[in-house]
Amino acid sequence: MNLPDKSEQVAKDKLREMQCKFNPLSRCDGSVMYCQGATVVISAVLGPVEVKTQNLSIDGSYLECNYRPKAGLPQVKERIREAAVRDVLELALLSEAYPRSKMSLQIQELEDRGSIDACALNSACLAMLIGGLPLKCSFAAVHCIINEQGEYILDPDQRETEHERASFTFAFDSLEGNLLLVQTKGSFKIAEFNDVESLCRSASAEILQFYRTSISNYHCRRSDTKTSEEQMET
Amino acid sequence: MFMNTGFFEPGKTKTERKFIQQAVKQSQRLDGRKSGESRDVQLTFGGEYGSVVVSLGDTKVMAQVTCDMGTPTTSRPNEGKLQLYVTLAGVSYLDSVQKTHDKRSLTLNSLLERTFRTSRCVDLESLCVASELHVWCIRVDVNVLNHDGNLYDASTVAVLAALMHFRRPDVTFTDGELRTYTEKERDMIPLLFLHYPVSVTYCIYTSNFQPFVDPTLLEENTADSTIILSFNSYQELCTLNAGGTVPTDVRTIMQCARSAANRCKAMVTFIRKALDQDEQQCLEGSKRNTGMLGLMEKSSQKLSFKTLMKGDQKQQQHKTEDMDLEVEAKPNPKLEADEEENADNVENVESDQPAQEEELPMDDSGWLPQEPEPTIDPTKQSPGKPKRKRNKGNKKKQ
Repeated sequence: MNLPDKSEQVAKDKLREMQCKFNPLSRCDGSVMYCQGATVVISAVLGPVEVKTQNLSIDGSYLECNYRPKAGLPQVKERIREAAVRDVLELALLSEAYPRSKMSLQIQELEDRGSIDACALNSACLAMLIGGLPLKCSFAAVHCIINEQGEYILDPDQRETEHERASFTFAFDSLEGNLLLVQTKGSFKIAEFNDVESLCRSASAEILQFYRTSISNYHCRRSDTKTSEEQMET
Repeated sequence: MFMNTGFFEPGKTKTERKFIQQAVKQSQRLDGRKSGESRDVQLTFGGEYGSVVVSLGDTKVMAQVTCDMGTPTTSRPNEGKLQLYVTLAGVSYLDSVQKTHDKRSLTLNSLLERTFRTSRCVDLESLCVASELHVWCIRVDVNVLNHDGNLYDASTVAVLAALMHFRRPDVTFTDGELRTYTEKERDMIPLLFLHYPVSVTYCIYTSNFQPFVDPTLLEENTADSTIILSFNSYQELCTLNAGGTVPTDVRTIMQCARSAANRCKAMVTFIRKALDQDEQQCLEGSKRNTGMLGLMEKSSQKLSFKTLMKGDQKQQQHKTEDMDLEVEAKPNPKLEADEEENADNVENVESDQPAQEEELPMDDSGWLPQEPEPTIDPTKQSPGKPKRKRNKGNKKKQ
């Protein structure tokens, strides 16, 4: 594997730079190419669409969630990620709005340079927002590790992930900051867990703000181009 | 949002077919291209070796090459393995419209196999570490991100670019012990190629027998015949896939083949240039961090066919009854009226006026390089023309 040298030093308690591009794909209802640092993920949503009879539910829509790795067939760790995304989405999605239908979410990994779980979740949220699927709340996911020296590193790079003692992924909702998902790996004390949780909670506010600015930029830019086109025609 | 909007592909309805047939009759295309004009190709290489995203207009395809040590097949004990997998499932939502084993997925897989495996483009013997014991198994995964027509070309470019970009670890086998070196210990080794194949797709409609290159999804779904030609950089034919309901003159196919050969050669040159630029950026140290971020608009300049081939001196011409000229060098609009060839051009040899096109002979001499005049010799067969695969062998003489 070709790991890059770290040229920019991001502070240990800061998230890496986030960027996103909306609707790069033309054939689905909503899509987003999202990156945190050098990790790039592309998500697409399609819905509400027709559902198979075995999944048909009169109470709400059926959620289909798929995560595809860059190379190879999906294995167990991809299924674990899918399960994590599905858990969060089932809490956030307003499935009662479209019964007897299916909402489909596909996530494709383009490059994994650390905290891919959090990236996948964030891109899923953005894709649903831009695709116009009904949500009860939006959510933000943060990944944090405790390295061998006992320091907390927020949103680690792949290089930093090599020396981890414990790893945490949290997902918070946007309304009250409730915890939607916790995934941990490794050994840690409960006090450390609480510290990391509060660290991630404050970071999630930053991510939610990023959602707001990028979506408003996307829509404002479109209305700007419309007005400029009108001016050109007249 | 309607229930089945995602499943609708443009071009399946009668109205759309009628519209496209009429537009084709007037040689018009929806996006304003000429019949011989292709969309721009953009390459973005990832941070890992062997990772590339190809954008052909709106069609986006990602290819990733991985390698693993394995045992060879018993029939070929000193050759490595090359496996190609195309997945239509995923972000492109192409599998929801189709049942499993549908035509599109099978054709794509089969085409890539023929173009890369059967034509023996990668030197598999160089992948052998110890005969009958250890060989490298190279696996190429093609993920279709978006389908807006012409998946074949995008996939072949993606596979070729990914294979050329890929580096495998160095390995030694001494005294029965296999030792793989990491990137830090020894440099990674690129793959060895025997030739570099790329494909070009043409669509033919009943209303106009002129072929249209690089169709969009709407054009592809309404087409009556599709011809896929795959040439390598030496202008040798690697794959030919022709099928449909339009009875097509063999001359048309030969003309398609001629322009496809030029286009493929230019495409391979473009991939090489793009790889060199990527290599340079990597050595400067700025690229490896960005990797796939190049897909974001704000990032550095994209490696696109038009920008990299702009200064190319080779000007390809191809004239048929109505087919427009295929311009390789961008800043040369007078090429449209120019019917003389560039002195550098040795591949294509047309000097007839378009009105006299019917008299163009059907023999193979137009293929051979450095032939000044196409000789009208129906009995002549060119001896040195290698053919990898040919589905249509008969040539009609005039």
